[in-house]
Amino acid sequence: MNSSLDLTFRALSDGTRRSMIRALARGETRSAGQLGRQFRSAQPTISKHLKVLEQAGLVERAIEGRVHRFRLRQKPLRDAGGWIARHQAFWTGAVDQLDRLLLEVAGDES
Amino acid sequence: MSRDEAVAEVRRRFSAAPEKVFSAFSEAHLVSRWLSPSPGFALTVLHFDFRVGGAYRFAYHVPGGETMIVNGSYRSMEPPSKIVFSWNIEPPDEHAGLQSEVTVTITPDGTGAELCIRHEKLTQAGAVERHAQGWRGALDQLAALLNAVLAARTQKPAP
Repeated sequence: MNSSLDLTFRALSDGTRRSMIRALARGETRSAGQLGRQFRSAQPTISKHLKVLEQAGLVERAIEGRVHRFRLRQKPLRDAGGWIARHQAFWTGAVDQLDRLLLEVAGDES
Repeated sequence: MSRDEAVAEVRRRFSAAPEKVFSAFSEAHLVSRWLSPSPGFALTVLHFDFRVGGAYRFAYHVPGGETMIVNGSYRSMEPPSKIVFSWNIEPPDEHAGLQSEVTVTITPDGTGAELCIRHEKLTQAGAVERHAQGWRGALDQLAALLNAVLAARTQKPAP
């Protein structure tokens, strides 16, 4: 139903993957090898993280011969931000209303 | 995005005592008077069973005629200081099917109380995985990440 946003949040639950997203934030492409050197991780580990990011739609892969290049996709990040912003607005508005209600209840009792 | 936290979290101090603030969550006739994003979103309490394991179901009448329905159940409670409940929006809402959890903490503050409402997205596998993966920390850093990415793009647009 909303599995894509679920996948996004799950992909973002790991520190290395968040760092990889930061490394791709400017929109340029990086190869798996470049990312591996940057994070001093074994290549299979980097490949595994990239696969999770790819499945969540957070990166897209371009294959040039033996080199796999990755680029960040912003839409899933925006969607995740939308969920958070919506609930922040909900509770901020609700607490404003609670404030008024508690004042009314206190007024009725005094 | 201007916020610096990824979990939806709201804190507010009230002059009312913790017990009064708690009752605003535990009594249906009070809940229906405030637990919506604005006075324009009228809340009808369809079901309300305030006990551990008990369920609730709220209908929000959105201006313009649509209705958003939220359901969940109470996972734990410690009157008058803490309530944890699940929060699921029903279809056809765009965020239907996403499991989330709300933790309400009420702390005495002088003669009043400080309320904290923390709403976080859960993974489908639930709490065990959440803790195993440092999920809470992940959410705390998510908005910072979003800000960094969007700011970087603004400075240097992708070709």
